[in-house]
Amino acid sequence: MGALVVNRSGSKAEGARREFSPAARARFDETLKRYPTRQAALLPALWIAQEEFGWISKETVEYVAGLLNLTPAYVDGVVTFYTMYHREPVGRTVLQVCSSISCHLCGAQSLLLLIEKKLGIKPNETTADGAFTLQEVECIAACDGGPALIRGEDILLGIDEKKLDQIIAEGRGK
Amino acid sequence: MAKFEPILTAQISDPRQKSIDTYLKKGGYEGLKKALSLNPDEVTAQVKASGLRGRGGAGFPCGVKWGFVPKNTGNPIYLLCNADESEPGTFKDRLIIENDPHQIIEGIAIASYALGVRTAYIYIRGEMYLGAKVLNAAIAECYQKGILGPRVHGSEFALDLHVHRGAGAYICGEETALIESLEGKRGQPRIKPPFPAIKGVFGCPTVVNNVETLACLPHIFTRGVDWFTSIGVPKGTGPKLYCISGHVNRPGVYELPMGVNLKELIDEHAGGMKGGKLKAVIPGGASAPVLTADEIDVALDFDSLAARGTMLGSAAVIVMNDTTCMVNTTVNLLKFFAHESCGQCTPCREGTPWSYRLLSRIEEGGGSLADLDLLLGIARNMSNGMTICVFGDAAAAPIQSFIKKFRTEFEEHIAGRTCHGLVEPSPSPNHSALPGSMPAAISVRS
Amino acid sequence: MGKVTIDDIAIEVPDGTNLMEAARKAGVEIPHFCYHPGLSVVAQCRMCLVDITGIPKVQPACNSFAKDGMIVNTQNEKVKEAQRAVMEFLLINHPLDCPICDQAGECKLQDNSFGYGQGGSRYTISKRQYPGFDRTAIGPHVVADMTRCIQCTRCIRFCQEISETGELSFQERGGRTLVWTHEGRPLDNEMSACAADVCPVGALTVKEFRFRARVWYLEKANSICAGCDVGCNVTVESKDKIAYRFLPRQNFSVNDHWMCDYGRFLVEDFNRRDVKAPRRRATRDGDPAGSFETISFDAAIDAAAASLLAAKESKKRIVIVAPASLPTEALWLAKKLAVEALGSAEIVTFIPKGEKPHRVKNQKTWAEGIEGVPNGAGARLLGLAESTNLLPEKGGNPEVVLVVDGDLASLSQDPNLVKNLRKARTLIVLARLDSQLTAAADLVFPLAPHTESEGTFVNGRRRLQRFDRAFLPLDGNRPAWELLSRIGRLFGEGFSFVTAAAVFEAMSAAVPSLGGITFPSIGSEGISLEPKTAGAAPDPKPAPEEKKN
Repeated sequence: MGALVVNRSGSKAEGARREFSPAARARFDETLKRYPTRQAALLPALWIAQEEFGWISKETVEYVAGLLNLTPAYVDGVVTFYTMYHREPVGRTVLQVCSSISCHLCGAQSLLLLIEKKLGIKPNETTADGAFTLQEVECIAACDGGPALIRGEDILLGIDEKKLDQIIAEGRGK
Repeated sequence: MAKFEPILTAQISDPRQKSIDTYLKKGGYEGLKKALSLNPDEVTAQVKASGLRGRGGAGFPCGVKWGFVPKNTGNPIYLLCNADESEPGTFKDRLIIENDPHQIIEGIAIASYALGVRTAYIYIRGEMYLGAKVLNAAIAECYQKGILGPRVHGSEFALDLHVHRGAGAYICGEETALIESLEGKRGQPRIKPPFPAIKGVFGCPTVVNNVETLACLPHIFTRGVDWFTSIGVPKGTGPKLYCISGHVNRPGVYELPMGVNLKELIDEHAGGMKGGKLKAVIPGGASAPVLTADEIDVALDFDSLAARGTMLGSAAVIVMNDTTCMVNTTVNLLKFFAHESCGQCTPCREGTPWSYRLLSRIEEGGGSLADLDLLLGIARNMSNGMTICVFGDAAAAPIQSFIKKFRTEFEEHIAGRTCHGLVEPSPSPNHSALPGSMPAAISVRS
Repeated sequence: MGKVTIDDIAIEVPDGTNLMEAARKAGVEIPHFCYHPGLSVVAQCRMCLVDITGIPKVQPACNSFAKDGMIVNTQNEKVKEAQRAVMEFLLINHPLDCPICDQAGECKLQDNSFGYGQGGSRYTISKRQYPGFDRTAIGPHVVADMTRCIQCTRCIRFCQEISETGELSFQERGGRTLVWTHEGRPLDNEMSACAADVCPVGALTVKEFRFRARVWYLEKANSICAGCDVGCNVTVESKDKIAYRFLPRQNFSVNDHWMCDYGRFLVEDFNRRDVKAPRRRATRDGDPAGSFETISFDAAIDAAAASLLAAKESKKRIVIVAPASLPTEALWLAKKLAVEALGSAEIVTFIPKGEKPHRVKNQKTWAEGIEGVPNGAGARLLGLAESTNLLPEKGGNPEVVLVVDGDLASLSQDPNLVKNLRKARTLIVLARLDSQLTAAADLVFPLAPHTESEGTFVNGRRRLQRFDRAFLPLDGNRPAWELLSRIGRLFGEGFSFVTAAAVFEAMSAAVPSLGGITFPSIGSEGISLEPKTAGAAPDPKPAPEEKKN
């Protein structure tokens, strides 16, 4: 049983100022129209940013804050509250393994250990070739198919070793 | 008993059900038409009469909730569809979202008409990428066909509907945290008063309803209130989606009349026990007190379960066989709560990691018997108004119920004796789902 | 209005009054951390939980509002159990830093633990760490130590609602929650140190004060900031005649609970003492090469009086310069000296340029300063004419100029001014800090800053405010009113004042707009001199309640 140490992952700096592409900017502008306040567009704006840039860097935080008249510290607070915004670059395939009770009862921990062994990384790490990032998450609403995981945007059920090998092969091929 | 004909999940296996043409062809949006022919207060009255209770977990009567909304404040009224389904063991909303989205949209439209809503939002958890895509496509179709927009179904009623994606926080399923998240903030539940019906999103009267609750509405209007009340039990009417997972042969969503017997659900619908004999069942998600194998002869409705000291919650039935270690299970549940605590208020922010670490220590053979009383004390101190929202009470429930009903297992772990289960190794308590790196520090003594 | 009973004490309060304020009125202490009367309510710390009859669960007093007939209990076992529970939760991860923590002695965690905690710990595992987030400056004036933080969000709310700069936010969630800035955007605004004021523990501390004094040894005196004409009420905290810090003092008519960093950190300036004894230039006629010799007070007073008397009798030009940074008593005495004792001496006041006004938040609005000196309104009230170039050209070079330099030695900042003043045959200067002015003078008196005497300032909104003495003057320094009195005494009657209060009383009797206000009647919140409320102290306005959005 380890210690409670908060090594905060503040959004890493990447040194380059990023801006939305015209297409992303258009999506952002359309999103603004849906809400009576600018601030309400923050989560959608961060999603657009993550889709554009792959992750939310310090500079991206400052950019989004500027678009919405918020302070960068405020946006940091939102980015770090939610688990799905990446605060550092991630691999081409992000594997989020559910560890909540139903999947746990169906072997989620063994699955996680198997993935760790096959990929050689622990949760919150990325493989050296940049192919995979592994994360351990809570219930993904796939409990009848435990152990389950999210690969990229897809919820995949009943992951046995065979399915896992296929996922890894597909990920390496990307 | 006669096989129950599903309604909510009747069209789930038709891959074309997502398209509005199929939905309309099968009689879809007739319920909305019917509701539009009444005046809004009549719609609310019928929903009240149907006895429909919220399907998100709290079981609050839907029509009564709608009745709290003041319609004369001069502010717009908002309806928020809670599609943040994140309670462990729950996967019923995702089924409808991905396979029969128009049923939900129709329910939203009916509710919006009754409440006088002009703009509604579906708050969907970030992990449901497919669900968001399906809903957005269905909404686009609705605008094309005039089901949404300035003249809903050709009437004077106007409605806009948008999908708003969350980004990974269980607590955003709590209605005021959902509201905060929609407003572009950290998903921290609000202090009450004021209540959302009076002052909710953007400072305006707001109703938050669960996906399944809204999905019931079209059927109340196409088939009638009497039909709805004829199903289920008096204080728990209508069809109910039950999720069953864990050590059963056929885990899945089962649509049954509210009040089905738990034993029947396990044995007759879910194919019975897998891998061992029944040891324990959690009837309603991570915060529902656990039932032992002797206690499963109970109706799965709000009041019957409450009378047994537990709850229906999100109807997430989690079944454990006798290879399961109860201590390990409790550790897993508290890991969930420690990860998902928003961190605002003292008892939950400090109590959830503390109890998680104490339980982990016990599981590893450490700790002392005094820890059990300490854990019960922590649980007590996170409940009954100590916290801003009921997350504290929710985290306390597994601590209290597992120690109460399986105390010997805890004592045996503390004594260092063999564990009961084919135990899954627990993740270390320092584990977090968040990527990590250390920023540079600036020393003050420079 | 309605009757609310708190612990069997019945009080009348308007319906809707926050129970924290109702309890304060009833004299009942409700322990708390996150509640602050100047900030929005969040009800997060859960320390203020009370028992309200008719409601089964304990309720946070800060989010409960008075209703006629409400009965509140803060002493029963239900409440005590809740308080012990919250204290236990707060202490499990809190470091045992008291021996090295500045907050000790004014720490809510210490106070509430002692008063309401359970006195022992059941925590047997390791405490939470925040590597890289402890003992680190997060701004020019504030040091943060996240290990001590109790996540009350007062500092965050301060930055959002009061300074409106939003540098701080909650980050992460759950047990990992911390308060921090965005990298590269430090806590750097015009009132940043107030964030450390509101912090109830030692998580945010003021860098300038760090490790310098234990607060229980500090003596406190009510004072007024001399940085500009906003006139923030402050408390001077000192020990052994050293001022250690200025803290904002609550005044809902001026500065609420706040003050700006500029005014706060003038404190170190006030401790500087260059001129400690009277000195006279050994040669005459302004020979700059002349060296200074220290002389006794009596000799100095005699020398000053002699020059002034000689000039008066030969009807030569005498100018007295009293800048608007001086207390009202000194300004009045300077005028009295010029007009009564010296016949037709000129008396000019001066608003030094280069002193910028500042501003402070008073409840929800910015109170903007207009002038960079504390007593421009006081000078105008006394009918002193303002001169910009200091020495009107008419009448040729003066025979004697007597200059009183203000607390911040602003007169001496402008070399042209000094050159101008040096045209006098004899230049007498009252000052605390060495400057071109003191170097150019013929006779220098050691001046004490306003904090070492009582007195008044009139702020830019014509509020008469009183300051008390922090400690007796150091060494040989004397307050301006006393030096001017002693000089005046040699010219006749009417200058035999023994205290600043006596000067005020005489002034109040003589100046119509002061209407005979007595010095003791100027309470700790001052008196507005605006026509409709002249002579009556207005009720301090309570800060309006704010609920969290």
